Amino acid sequence: MKANREMKRLFVGGLGQGISETDLQNQFSRFGEVSNVEIITRKDDQGNSQKVFAYVNIKITEADLKKCMSVLNKTKWKGGTLQIQLAKESFLHRLAQEREEAKAKKENPTSVNTNLVEKMGGVDFHMKAVPGTEVPGHKNWVVSKFGRVLPVLHLKNQHKHKIMKYDPSKYCHNLKKISEDLTETIPITDLTWELEGGNDPMSKKRRGEFSDFHFPPQKIKKVQKGPMESKVSNISLRTNEVMESNKSTQPTTVHRKAPSTAVPSKSLHVPSSGTQKPKHMVFHTSDFEIIWNKSRMSDDDIDSEEELKVMIAKEENLQKTRHSLVNESENDPFEVVRDDFKSDTHRLRSSTSSGNDSDCDSSDTDKIIAMKKNTVKVKNSAESSQPEKSISMRSSFKKIKPSNDCVEVQNTKSNKESALGHEGKFLNPKFPPDSNTSDSEESEEDEEYKALMKNCPRVNLTLADLECLAGSHQKVPGNDESDGSQNSSHCKFNTTSKSPKTSNDLHSGRQCICPEEIVASLLEEENTYSRQKTEETTLKPKFQAFKGIGGLYAKESGDKTLKETVDFNNINEQSRSSLKHEEPDRVFIENGSKCTNGSSNKLTSCQPAKKVNNPNHIQSPKRQSTSESQSHKVVSFTCFDKESQNPLSCPLPLKGKKSLSAKSHKIESDRDTCHQPKSRKASEKEDTDSSNITSLEKPPKVSFREDPQKSTASFSLSVSDASCMSAKDKHAEDNQKRLAALAVWQKAREVQKKLVHNALANLDAHPENKKTHIVFASDNESETEETSTQEQNSPGKELVTESVGKASGKLFDSSDDEDSDSKEDSTRFNIKPQFEGRAGQKLMDLQSHFGNDERFRMDSRFLESDSEEEQQKELNEIQTNEDELAAERKQTLNVVQSVLNINLSNPTSKGAVAVKKFKDIVHYDPTKHDHAIYERKQEDNEKESKVKRKKKREEAEKLPEVSQDMYHNITTDLKEIFQHTKNTDEKEEDTPWNEDCGREETEEVSVAATLTSGAEHTSGFTFSFFDSDTKDIKEDTYRTEPVKRGKIVYQEDPRFQDSSSEEEEEEVTKEADHKRPSPGEAFPVECTRFFFFSENDDRLHGRSILPFSGVEQVVVQLLLIVYSTQLHLQVLTHCSLMCFIPLHYKAFRGQ
Amino acid sequence: MRPLTEEETRVMFEKIAKYIGENLQLLVDRPDGTYCFRLHNDRVYYVSEMILKLAANISGEKLVSLGTCFGKFTKTHKFRLHVTALDYLAPYAKYKVWIKPGAEQSFLYGNHVLKSGLGRITENTSQYQGVVVYSMADIPLGFGVAAKSTQDCRKVDPMAIVVFHQADIGEYVRHEETLT
Repeated sequence: MKANREMKRLFVGGLGQGISETDLQNQFSRFGEVSNVEIITRKDDQGNSQKVFAYVNIKITEADLKKCMSVLNKTKWKGGTLQIQLAKESFLHRLAQEREEAKAKKENPTSVNTNLVEKMGGVDFHMKAVPGTEVPGHKNWVVSKFGRVLPVLHLKNQHKHKIMKYDPSKYCHNLKKISEDLTETIPITDLTWELEGGNDPMSKKRRGEFSDFHFPPQKIKKVQKGPMESKVSNISLRTNEVMESNKSTQPTTVHRKAPSTAVPSKSLHVPSSGTQKPKHMVFHTSDFEIIWNKSRMSDDDIDSEEELKVMIAKEENLQKTRHSLVNESENDPFEVVRDDFKSDTHRLRSSTSSGNDSDCDSSDTDKIIAMKKNTVKVKNSAESSQPEKSISMRSSFKKIKPSNDCVEVQNTKSNKESALGHEGKFLNPKFPPDSNTSDSEESEEDEEYKALMKNCPRVNLTLADLECLAGSHQKVPGNDESDGSQNSSHCKFNTTSKSPKTSNDLHSGRQCICPEEIVASLLEEENTYSRQKTEETTLKPKFQAFKGIGGLYAKESGDKTLKETVDFNNINEQSRSSLKHEEPDRVFIENGSKCTNGSSNKLTSCQPAKKVNNPNHIQSPKRQSTSESQSHKVVSFTCFDKESQNPLSCPLPLKGKKSLSAKSHKIESDRDTCHQPKSRKASEKEDTDSSNITSLEKPPKVSFREDPQKSTASFSLSVSDASCMSAKDKHAEDNQKRLAALAVWQKAREVQKKLVHNALANLDAHPENKKTHIVFASDNESETEETSTQEQNSPGKELVTESVGKASGKLFDSSDDEDSDSKEDSTRFNIKPQFEGRAGQKLMDLQSHFGNDERFRMDSRFLESDSEEEQQKELNEIQTNEDELAAERKQTLNVVQSVLNINLSNPTSKGAVAVKKFKDIVHYDPTKHDHAIYERKQEDNEKESKVKRKKKREEAEKLPEVSQDMYHNITTDLKEIFQHTKNTDEKEEDTPWNEDCGREETEEVSVAATLTSGAEHTSGFTFSFFDSDTKDIKEDTYRTEPVKRGKIVYQEDPRFQDSSSEEEEEEVTKEADHKRPSPGEAFPVECTRFFFFSENDDRLHGRSILPFSGVEQVVVQLLLIVYSTQLHLQVLTHCSLMCFIPLHYKAFRGQ
Repeated sequence: MRPLTEEETRVMFEKIAKYIGENLQLLVDRPDGTYCFRLHNDRVYYVSEMILKLAANISGEKLVSLGTCFGKFTKTHKFRLHVTALDYLAPYAKYKVWIKPGAEQSFLYGNHVLKSGLGRITENTSQYQGVVVYSMADIPLGFGVAAKSTQDCRKVDPMAIVVFHQADIGEYVRHEETLT
């Protein structure tokens, strides 16, 4: 009896509402030993209970069970009809049972499974080896993918008599679960837990409050498998649950179904579908391998909750660090991005570029020693922040990369954001380095320039020089875009490649190969300078048209067409020859700068031309220097003069050309290609010349005609400047001359206009008797038409033709100037003054009724007086039109408001809103002033540097004059000093200076000379041991250099300055060891620097701002104090100091 | 050619707002000039004021198109977006879908986007939200409507449609005659 008692589980349905467990227990205890009663109440959505049923665990015999069923079944009890059935065992119970069994099995291991494991040599099915490696000691057992050891199978094909070898290491889908090991699993109580949630039906269902019996499919996914697999799925599922339940992991008693195998499939099959059928493992990704390994590593008992939690935490860490992120949607092949998603590649590129920037910056910093401290600091911070940024970037990128496999989780996003933040942080320090690079680039340019200048002595400043200048100019801006390091190398390469050329190319025919470049560069320069000069701003667009070879070529072709029209008008035969002449010209230009072969005759023609030109060039520098000296006086004019100095080489050949023009038109063609500026006067003369030549029907005329076309009115300004410069030295006279030339030119224009008018009047006069029909067209067109018809139709009127021809010839000769021609063209379509305005339009309408009939000339008298009203009306129309548009816009905005349910601020401020919203997408409008912030500052720097460079070169080249008063200004300080110590100084002065000068010869001589002469002038005693000539020259250096020191070198170009000053200092320390080739160029500057500053010398201030940072500045200040106190004591100390300062300065620099 | 009525404007804006949201006001109130919508042959054109004035010189029956066609009103007075509006809407798009290179062609032939072709999607995309479809190289390919929300997209099987096709740049070739 007792032995027959078994644990049964009974389902008791149809219970009443108010039933309790004790009731049930009492009821059923009659039949057996009731161990557990579980009442389940099923409710509907409103909470009303629909069903109440219970499970009763009871130890009961078969007979008692039958009795019980027959007695209680379908009986009414406590408001319900009982329905008793035998229920299935609770799955947890069964699980526990199974585990017990398994445990028992494990204790006496005899199963096949364990045998197999043992067969593998105790390695529990897994080997860490490359897939395909054979298991040592076991034939036909190989390590398959993911480390599982599997046998190689030899299968017989179904239809063929072939035996196939099935190597599991080559296949993925070969893993099949053989049996389960239930011994090492999570305790049953831990398998279930509670889900938190709201009151909505979904969360209720999640919590297990169902309206029917079924467990949610999600719960069924619970896995019981071999140790590895179960753990994997456990963990993953657990994390899933964690994610779902807002990271609250509180295991409770929601039951799950145990036995099924989960398939973490990475393939495109969805996990939900995979979980239902799967009997095989599909491991594709390394992601899972990682998880797997992870789970293997923690292979020990995971019994306790804490351990599980630890596992989860670990897993989460893993998620964070690894790119495979196990989420509920871990298998999704797409990624989810934020609203402000930007493509990663861009980000990467930007980051790398920024990295590059900082890299090259760091290299730059090595060079730039005397630098602003804070910039250096910023740079350092940039550099320091770079590595970590890159790391973060890398990590985040890693995560983003496998986006095909997995979905990005919040973690990655936050990482990404942090990376972005890094980047953003990095952006700030990025800017100063940029400016640094630009600085360095400039300095490089300067260096290059200097090298250039060294290589070519100033005597041969020829086209070749210009050419290489142009090349460097063009190349350097192009390189600015590229990396700094690259740039430097490029620049250096340029200098090295160019500088030898400058000397070699002097007489070679290649000079004329790319005059376009020269012109372009010149024009570019002018462009840059034109900003500084307001007067030139108006000319800017014209130059821009000139920029580049392409533009030049276009222009050339345009000129050609123009010329063709000219030729058409000129019925002379010479047009053919001119065309012929044009052809090679064009070819030449087409060939561009690279055609060394070009056209052979071109080259040959160019060479003699060059030879002719060269002497002129050699003559020129002298004038240049003088002009430069002049230009130095007025700062604003320096750049202009510079420009003019460059073209100087061309007006000079022009002269020679003039003399030669009769001989060879080839020279002129050469000049054509150069398009070099002509003086206004020259062009005028040439105009007359060309008219003569046209009468003579000489081919050169074409070139002549072309030239004025090329030289725009504005350009001629600088040109005239240049020519004037060459003619005379005085600047005022220059101006006068320029003005005079302008006046002459204007006069000439007037004359031309008159001629045109006359010619047209003549033409107008003729048609009256000729005309038989009315031409319905504008006046101008008909006129020209008439001229042509007249010319063609009346061969007999030779006189008229000739005059016309002459007129036209004159017309087009004089209007050769390109823009004047274009003006002519444009004026043709301009509204005549009488037809201007609204009234004029009406008048023209009236007139058009009668065509060009002279008898019906309309003028203002014919106009009706209602014009103003109409005007008003039209204005109103426009107004209404605009109003309409505005109203429409308002309306649409209203609709937008209603559609979007947002309140738009007033429309005026919306523009700003838009701008704010799309900050990174700004439509750049160069005409807007506030858009200047988007312009790169580099250009300005470059320009400035150009100016500075020019100035520097200027100063290097020449020995400018110095006015006396400046000299006095300098020595006023000394005056008092010397008055104090006159008596003592006299003698002391002599000895040290003699010493020094004896060693240093010319350089020191200059210093001494100035000093002594200063003393002379102030104190009035005449004492000198040098003749006045040398004094003058040396003084020049004194006068000019401070300007250079204070402004250019120290502020703008510290690096360059550093190197140079170092050089100088070295030279100072070495003193007389070697003489420099250019005396008085650099060294005296150094002298002045330490010799002539007073306490509040602005030169000193200027210097202290930039290059001396920190300690150095202090030292200088100290020295200054020492200086001022001791200055009146001994000149000897000056000398010692002079040697002392550079040494110390250098020492500090070395730190 | 006439301005849109208020009702038409509302219908159209509702449609466009599905794609660009509140950025719509940037289309209407542009800082770089006055732009307006004009109805012509049932089509809505987005025209700058300047072009509008020029187009006013052309008689209605001769005028083929002006400005940029944004779409057309169907006979039932619904608004249908054309792919020509892509250039204006893509920069302002709020919800985007990137499709994999393999699925690009399919989409450009007028097919819906399956989940297998979905490369990337803006988070929080709700169902039936208008999206702009991009290639993985960030080239706008067309318009679509999200068939599933982002969350749902994770669950559905790979052959499920996630984006309904609305318009694509393949129409420039396929429907050349109707795109004006």
